Amino acid sequence: MIIVVDGLNRHLFSEVLDDMFELRARVFGGRLGWDVNIQDGKEIDEFDHLDPAYVIGLDDGGNVVAAVRALQTTGPHMLADVFSAILDGEAPIRSATMWESTRFCVDTQRLNRGKDKNSVSYATCELMIGSLEYAKNSGIQDIITVIDPIMDRVLKRSNCAPYDYVGKTAPMGKVSALAALLDCTEERISGIREFAGIHQDVFLEEEEALELFKAKKSAEINPANRDHKPLTELEKYFVEQMSAARNEAERQDVLKLIEALTDTFTTEQKTALLQTPRAFAHEA
Amino acid sequence: MEIVDLSTLPDSETRYTEFLRQICEKHDMDHAAYAGMNPAAGTVAGFVTYDDAWTEHYQNQGLIMVDPTIHMARRSIAPVDWSRLERSPDFQRVFRDASDFGLPNQGVTIPVRGPYGDIGLLSATRKCSKDEWRKLFTHVISDLQSMAVHIHDNVVSSDELTNVLYHPTLSTREAEILQWVAAGKSQQDIGDILSISHRTVEVHLRSSREKLSALTTPQAVGRAIAIGLITPS
Repeated sequence: MIIVVDGLNRHLFSEVLDDMFELRARVFGGRLGWDVNIQDGKEIDEFDHLDPAYVIGLDDGGNVVAAVRALQTTGPHMLADVFSAILDGEAPIRSATMWESTRFCVDTQRLNRGKDKNSVSYATCELMIGSLEYAKNSGIQDIITVIDPIMDRVLKRSNCAPYDYVGKTAPMGKVSALAALLDCTEERISGIREFAGIHQDVFLEEEEALELFKAKKSAEINPANRDHKPLTELEKYFVEQMSAARNEAERQDVLKLIEALTDTFTTEQKTALLQTPRAFAHEA
Repeated sequence: MEIVDLSTLPDSETRYTEFLRQICEKHDMDHAAYAGMNPAAGTVAGFVTYDDAWTEHYQNQGLIMVDPTIHMARRSIAPVDWSRLERSPDFQRVFRDASDFGLPNQGVTIPVRGPYGDIGLLSATRKCSKDEWRKLFTHVISDLQSMAVHIHDNVVSSDELTNVLYHPTLSTREAEILQWVAAGKSQQDIGDILSISHRTVEVHLRSSREKLSALTTPQAVGRAIAIGLITPS
């Protein structure tokens, strides 16, 4: 599920943003070894102070699993400044209908390597769909995105190959970075949707997102049903299954089963269940 | 910041207000307004197509100080549909009286960020149902984005100091493509000549037009020749 956080609603989502800045620190500072500034475990640069828009991917438990940042190319943006090495001294593209996307990242620790809802592949595609649709709905026709060669391969593999590149591939810490062009067209979006099998609306309404975070919080405060609400038979069954699980794969299977029986539960029950058995598992 | 009333300057009011009227006509809007802030010059500029009665009320009540279409929309990078601002108490304060003045109920504000901390806001409004508005919005939003940048760049570069800063710099690729346009080549031809996609040619042309504050490609070619960025063929 995708939420868009910008200057208008960021006061409602400050914890989500903190989670995202921590994810960015792990990805860009840690895994990719970019020369980024990390403080208190968060990667924040000067462009984060310019009210950019963040497109953020969440899992069912309300955890940040993917994120990307968007800025207008008419004003200050990274290619005009810190990534100017990519443009080799050339002036950046400036267009009312082109946004720049930077800091595309996915939580490869929390997500698995398969193709299901909790996979790196799914989260990547969902974030691409979300950011392209957000741009398209805003009248944006193209995105220029600063990525590393690995992400470039991911785009090509995910039925979302850039239609062109601007400038050259420039060294950027342990890896290198390049600027790719993506059109925000229905064809591209449906191509990714087809590839990933994502056909539903990916966006979460502001209210729904706030509900989800509230549920996440209360699950953290009351991890093992400490409020002693009576459990239904089905809920009891899942808690038992979770306690009996001997390894991560078995625990994932229980969570999948809960997902599959979504219709049987209310949203609150489902969130509580997805959190509570985990807590039981931790305690075990 | 002092408020510069550009309407007291020769041609200014007619120029910008006429531009806003053309936007309304082209895109089925009832009214349009532009507000621009230029910290480099320390100025604020505003142009509207609203009736004098509303403009006076707006000024007398000092609504500009709280108007969320200005103070909130500037914090977005995307066009802000006014439905997103409705819950703000300031929105109620500004628009509570709006219907008495015959003002439309649907609107959008497009924020433009310039390179020197300058910000422009183009608003367009129409009296219609939500459904109608949604359809219209989807249809016109891309062009409105371009219009917003166009009026903003023009207003900002009318300030002498900023005009110097705003000196257009084309990339080699952009100049090369404009040069081929001046030589009479089509976008398809240029793509073939340079071995780049047709869409890349279009993207560079769009960028060149905006850097040269031109709405059309022929205008951009003319200006690029005039300031010596390309040569006449």
